[in-house]
This record gives sequence, structure tokens and C-alpha cells, in this order.
Amino acid sequence: MAIDRDSNVYTIVFATVMVVIVGGLLAFIASSLKPIQKANTTNEKMQNILQAIGLEEMRTLQRDEAGAIFNDFVKRRVTINYKGEILSDKSAADAIDPQDKLDAFNIDLRKEYSRAVKPILSANKGDDEAIKTALSQSEAIHFPIFICEKDGQKYYVLSASGKGLWDDVWGYIGFKADGETVNGAVFDHKGETPGLGSIITEAWFEDQFVGKTIAENGAFTPIKVLKPGKNLNNHQVDGISGATFTGVGVDEMLTRNLEVYYNFFKNNSEF
Amino acid sequence: MSEEKKSEPLFSKKNKALITNPLNSINPVTIQVLGICSALAVTVQMDNAIIMSLAVTAVLIIGNVLVSLMRNIIPGKIRIIVQLVIVAALVIIVDQVLKAYVYDVSKKLSVFVGLIITNCIIMGRLEAFALGNKSWASALDGLGNGIGYGLVLVVVAFFKEVFGSGTLTIPGLGKLTIIPESVYDMGYMDNGLMLLPPSSLFIVAVYIWVQKTRNPELIED
Amino acid sequence: MEYLNIFIKSAFIDNMVFTFFFGMCSYLAVSKTVKTAVGLGSAVIFVLVVTTPINYLLETLVLQEGALSWLGDEYATMDLSFLSFIMFIAVIASIVQLVEMLVEKFSPALYGALGIFLPLIAVNCAILGAALFMQQKQFANIGQATVYGLGSGFGWFIAIVLIAAIREKIKYSHIPGPMRGVGMAFLLTGLMGLAFLGFLGFEL
Repeated sequence: MAIDRDSNVYTIVFATVMVVIVGGLLAFIASSLKPIQKANTTNEKMQNILQAIGLEEMRTLQRDEAGAIFNDFVKRRVTINYKGEILSDKSAADAIDPQDKLDAFNIDLRKEYSRAVKPILSANKGDDEAIKTALSQSEAIHFPIFICEKDGQKYYVLSASGKGLWDDVWGYIGFKADGETVNGAVFDHKGETPGLGSIITEAWFEDQFVGKTIAENGAFTPIKVLKPGKNLNNHQVDGISGATFTGVGVDEMLTRNLEVYYNFFKNNSEF
Repeated sequence: MSEEKKSEPLFSKKNKALITNPLNSINPVTIQVLGICSALAVTVQMDNAIIMSLAVTAVLIIGNVLVSLMRNIIPGKIRIIVQLVIVAALVIIVDQVLKAYVYDVSKKLSVFVGLIITNCIIMGRLEAFALGNKSWASALDGLGNGIGYGLVLVVVAFFKEVFGSGTLTIPGLGKLTIIPESVYDMGYMDNGLMLLPPSSLFIVAVYIWVQKTRNPELIED
Repeated sequence: MEYLNIFIKSAFIDNMVFTFFFGMCSYLAVSKTVKTAVGLGSAVIFVLVVTTPINYLLETLVLQEGALSWLGDEYATMDLSFLSFIMFIAVIASIVQLVEMLVEKFSPALYGALGIFLPLIAVNCAILGAALFMQQKQFANIGQATVYGLGSGFGWFIAIVLIAAIREKIKYSHIPGPMRGVGMAFLLTGLMGLAFLGFLGFEL
């Protein structure tokens, strides 16, 4: 062969051709699979929200089916901030526009947690008042509310995000029309220890929350995750043995987020 | 390779050895100590281990064949980078396909799919075998090493899952209960250690022990 | 404070070797003597401190969804994140190459010490692993990403130096034949991993 494989010209030509071919191929594959991937994540979120309502018929809901029935249940999507001001209010008739960052469905709580909430929590460690002041001043923190209806009954699905042992934990919690009694809960996590922390996604853990309340004598009372085997009142659930820190994370995120929602419902009785 | 005769059968003795050797005497994980990074981290459940092995085997075979086909045109100076690019491109494709069609699995494997790129088995085989051999032999070599890697993963995952959670998750069959409820009633408890990362290392160590006891010629001095 | 947290967390709690098994190949292959272990460990710290911030910039300015908005509004919806693997590995491979050349030119002594390890690093999963975790953890600024790189590298350094020290001593022990070498190294790493699990109790 006449080509000198060690010459600089050959090396550069080869590299250029390779980059063009590989780049083109990858761009083609990524863009053709993109819609399917996007649908997967959207459907998963819808599935989680629907299951959090806590209806028996939703237990076996598959991810692919969630998209079709989402609007039959979720009638209104509201976004509020820490102070309880309404930033966005959409009804089921308004399509979900991926560009509308304030639409409750598009609020990425995990991103907000790591970008905005986590720095505040670690900067003001131990000082609850300072944390609350800083959280209420931040404009990057939003709280989505999904108002659902089934057979004339109203349900609220609220969400929360925090940190477990290794990585993010988050969840959707469904409330009855009184805004105080839990009707369903769905949790998920990024990287908790499989078989220990990852149990928060299993039904027995999630089902414990059903029937618990976040109010006592008209004041906010958080739901606590205890060490397993204690006697429980209606603000407490059993933790998972061997996964204390995941439990602490779930506990913290519920306390921090649900208080905002509780105050909001208290001050806005029309919801 | 010029002395190889054209009429060599597809599964000659030499070619068969390309598949069987990596299962034992040159097993990529336990003997060559390659590709451990991803091997041990995805073994808490059987299905993850199986899918990871399939992904690695696929990348390994295709990467081997591609590099082998291109072995006469790759410039020597940027050899490593070219190999990395080929592997990285294949891995991106695997990742995108997993995300689109088996979303649940891709969620669990997360960053570990990306790490197939730096899985030393792949780079090692490309450099050591595919650069100097024909494509059919390279494909067999990829298959053999992929299976050898998968074998260790499956063994580790089996012990971790059965003793750690009492179940076995097999793709297509779902979660099977291996240890019956009655055993738990008698006071048996799952071994929590099995679910933690270090237990994979213990299992591989025992695996090596058994393997080298049966093949004393592999013992290091 | 945040920086110290990230450092301790990435070096001890999320130790690359003991909790994620990243960089195990070179960890087992180059841990026979403390001297070489220190060499490779330093090289890994160095490369991580350089590549993690570069990959962070790449991620936030080019790859992330909407990251290209600084080019103009029409680019605001571009999502190049599918390219991240290939971009990260390209950055790592070229930085390693660059570092190798610079070190060779300006500090032959250091090159003599680190030189042979540098090419190994491009395929060390700890480096790419740090880049991918960095992407996942969504650090708030480049400083945090750099500290994360430093911490992960330091954790890897400790791990390889510790095991090398043990392996140097263990030569004099009577170990059953089949467990000699790699087998024992696996077992030791497992035990050290258990010990490092104790750091999980840290509240940061």
C-alpha cells in the first residue's frame, strides 16, 4: 500500500473522517430515539402522580397507560412558592407545554433541591429559622400541586424532594380533600442501597402513610419516620431496619415540603 | 496471519478455544483482573447482572469486529483514541437504546452503562487481540470474553441476591422467591452484608479460590 | 464549609474504590509496592483535579439541555447530553496526553516517576466515573466540581496506598496457594470496604 499510516496528514484526515461519521451516526440515533425516551420519563411522572392519589384501581397502572388517562384525573395544576404565592394555575384543558417552566408538571424538584435547597440547608445547618428565611427568599424553589378528582371527590397530590443516604430521594403524596389526611404515597430514589434503602419504593412502606395526618389541633405536625418496632400514632410510620439514613432523608423532605403546602391550604380555603 | 489456510473451518479447535479459554484459564475478571469496576457494582440483583453482561458482550463483539476490520487503516499514533471513540460510540448507542426500550433497567444501571467505555476488558481485548487478528476470530474472542465476564457476574449476583434478599430476579420471569416464608418463620434472616458493596469482593475472592484450587497451574507464586 | 463537606464525602464516604469499585483494574495491578502506588495515586489526583472542572464547564456550557442558550435563543432548546460519554472520554484522553507531554518537557524527574502511569489513567474508570457522577450530582459551581475531583482523587490515593502497604507486608504470610496474589487482594479490599462503610455514620 502506498499510504503511509504514520504520516501526519493521514492521521488528521483519518481523525476528521472518523469524527464526522461517528458524530453523524450518534446524532441520528439520539434524535430518532429521543421522542420515545421523553415519553418514558413523562409517562413515569404521570404514573407516579396518579398512583399517589391512592385509588385502588391505580395500583396496577402501567407506565404506558398513564399518559392517556392523566387528564381524566388531574383537573388542575398549580405552582406556588415558599411564601404561598400562586405562580401558575392551569386546568386540565391547558396542554402541558414543555417550554413553560412554571407549569406544575414541569417543575423539576430534584434539580431545585440540589441547585437551590441543598446549599441553603448546609449553609444554615442547625438554625431552623435561618433556613426558613433563606428558603422563602429564594426564587428558584417551587412547589407543584396537582388537584385531582374522582367521583366528585377531590384529592391533592403534592411532591417533595430531598436526600437519602447516597443520593436523591423524592416522592408524591396524595391528600384527601381536607388537605391533611394522606391518601397515598409514592417514593422513588436515585441510588439508595438495593434491598435496604430502596425498600422505600415498596408498597408496604408507602402504604403505611395512608391515613396519617399532618395536622394536630390546627397546627402543622410532620409525619415522622421512626425506627421500626415502636408504637405508632397517626403522625408516625415505621422506618426500614438497616436503612436509617434513607428514613431520615424521607422524614426531612416531608417535613420541609409539607409544611409549605399545609400553610398554603390553610390560607387559601378556596382550594 | 498469512500461514492460516483459507479453508479453516469456522469452528476449528483454535477458534473454539477462543470461546472456552476466557471461561476458565484466562477469565477476564478473576485471572486477568479486568473489568472489575462495573462487574461488582451491578450485582445486587440478577437481572441487572444479566443485562450488564449482555451489554458488555454486545459492545465487546461489535467493537472487536470493527477494530479488526479497521486494523490496517488505523493510524498508529492515535490508536488508543480511535479505539476509545469506537467504544464510546457503541456505548452511547447501547445507552440510548436501553433508555428508549427498557427504561426501568436503564434507571437502575445509570452511570454504570457509561462505565462500559472504560471497562478494561474492552480496551484490553481491542488492543491485545482485535488489532492483530481477523474479524471472525475477533468476534469469537469478544464472545468468549463477554461470556467469561458474564459468568462471574451471574455467580456473584446469585449469591448476593439469594442470601441478601431471599429472591432471584430473572428477566422475563420477574422476582422469584427462593427462600420460602416458612424458613423466615423459623428465625432465618437475610444477610444484610450481602447487599453491601464489599460482599461482592468476598464472593469473587472465594470464586478465585475455588477456581485456582481446581486448576493449580493458575496459582501465582 | 460546603467545600469541606464535598471533599470529605467524596474522599471517605463515597470512596471511589471501596464503595463504587472504580479504577479497580489499575488498583489491583499497580498495588504491589507502596512506591508505585504513591506514583499512580498522585497521577490520578492530578488528572482528576484538571479534568473534572473542564468536564464541568463542558457539561454546563455545551452538553446540558438548554446549555447552549448563550449562543442565542434559537439554541436554547438544544440537548446534546447524549454526547456526554464521548466528550468526557475525549477530554480525559487528550488531557492525559497533554499532561504527559508537558510533564516530560518541563519536569523530567516527575515524568520519570509518573510517566509510565499516565497512559494507564485514560482508561481508569475512576476518572470517567468522577465525570459522570459530577454530571449527576449537578454541582452549583465550578469550585465545588473541582473539590469533588480533588476529593475523589484523594480517596483513590488513600485506597491504593493502603492496600499496597498491606500487600508489601503480606508477602511474608503463609497464605493458601490459590489465594495468593489477586485472591487475597480482593479479600483485603472487601475488608477495607467494610471498614470504610463506617464513615457512613458521619453527618455532614
